[in-house]
Amino acid sequence: MQTTYPRTRRWTRAEYDRLIDKGVFRPDERLELLAGHLVVREPQGGPHILAIERLNEVLRVAFGPEWRVRIQLPIALDDESEPEPDVSVAAGRPLETTEAKPSRLALVVEVAESGLALDREYKGSLYARARVPDYWIVNLVDRVLEVYRDPMPDASASYGCSYRSVQSLSAGEHVSPLAAPTARIPVSDLLP
Amino acid sequence: MSESVVRTRRWSRVEYERLIEEGVFQAGERLELLAGQLVVREPQATPHATGIRLVTRALREVFGQDRWIVDMQLPVALDEESEPEPDVTVTADDPRDFLPSHPARPALVVEVAEASLALDREEKGSLYARARVPEYWILNLRDRVLEVYREPHPDPSSPHGWAYRSRQSLAAGEHVTPSAAPSARIAAANLLP
Repeated sequence: MQTTYPRTRRWTRAEYDRLIDKGVFRPDERLELLAGHLVVREPQGGPHILAIERLNEVLRVAFGPEWRVRIQLPIALDDESEPEPDVSVAAGRPLETTEAKPSRLALVVEVAESGLALDREYKGSLYARARVPDYWIVNLVDRVLEVYRDPMPDASASYGCSYRSVQSLSAGEHVSPLAAPTARIPVSDLLP
Repeated sequence: MSESVVRTRRWSRVEYERLIEEGVFQAGERLELLAGQLVVREPQATPHATGIRLVTRALREVFGQDRWIVDMQLPVALDEESEPEPDVTVTADDPRDFLPSHPARPALVVEVAEASLALDREEKGSLYARARVPEYWILNLRDRVLEVYREPHPDPSSPHGWAYRSRQSLAAGEHVTPSAAPSARIAAANLLP
């Protein structure tokens, strides 16, 4: 974690949830808690929105009824992080679950139009630190799907962990989620 | 996280005061709201505390009791997104005037700086100038000088668009006269721990 000067106050996830409960934030605010920092989410362009819609459609089919495919909903990642990934997949039936903010995720996906550095360096390292086994970035800049797997300690990464396996798949290739190994998703289906 | 990659949420002074009232912060947390950022105040070494006491004593002598208040580390309602707690402030008028809200317009602000010199000069200096604080002193313990800043003016190259036009650095043998107490004469040596 790099410390900028001056040092700003970091928030725990419990404090952040309390701020939300107390109605401190404006209803239209889009925030994420990342490693104690309250980060403002940037507005989403058309391709970003379309990519999320594609992911929703494709991943629901690939994972089936025993999985929750969640769109931009909060996850309880660690004690100082509560991101809202574009897509998060957790075990459980959507109509039966009572766990509002899952902490054990099978897959996290971010769609990146411009914030590639944030998604790769900061969020990638945070997800690796929380042992998210499968992390994808739909990279709309280069029109590829980046697949990150096998989290490991890495002192040079922003939060001390990174992914050992990094693959970049282009439109002609396929991807199988680790938790749904029989599914075979054409990368082109994910790129608007 | 670097500023270039992410934008962190900024707080207004009204929101900050609400967080305090709601008891969101831990007891004993030392924070300041500076241009929307909740900045953690670093722990103070004894020379810093001694500097605050020396400055407070000297200013209480020259400003007297009836028309001025000399405060140590109390909040100033500086602007819509800033509520610093300067080491020493001199404000005109009666303490009960500030029951509904913190003082907004000190005549003199003093920060005692050792490790925080860069923050006090650049960030806070620009913020105080933007709020038109007419006089700002930094008791610079590192170089053992009193830095005196006056005449706030717009300066696009400063962090908050304002800076002080007049800057003086007074060594131990020199004297300073606060603008708001023109007959006073304070030896810089009396302020340095």
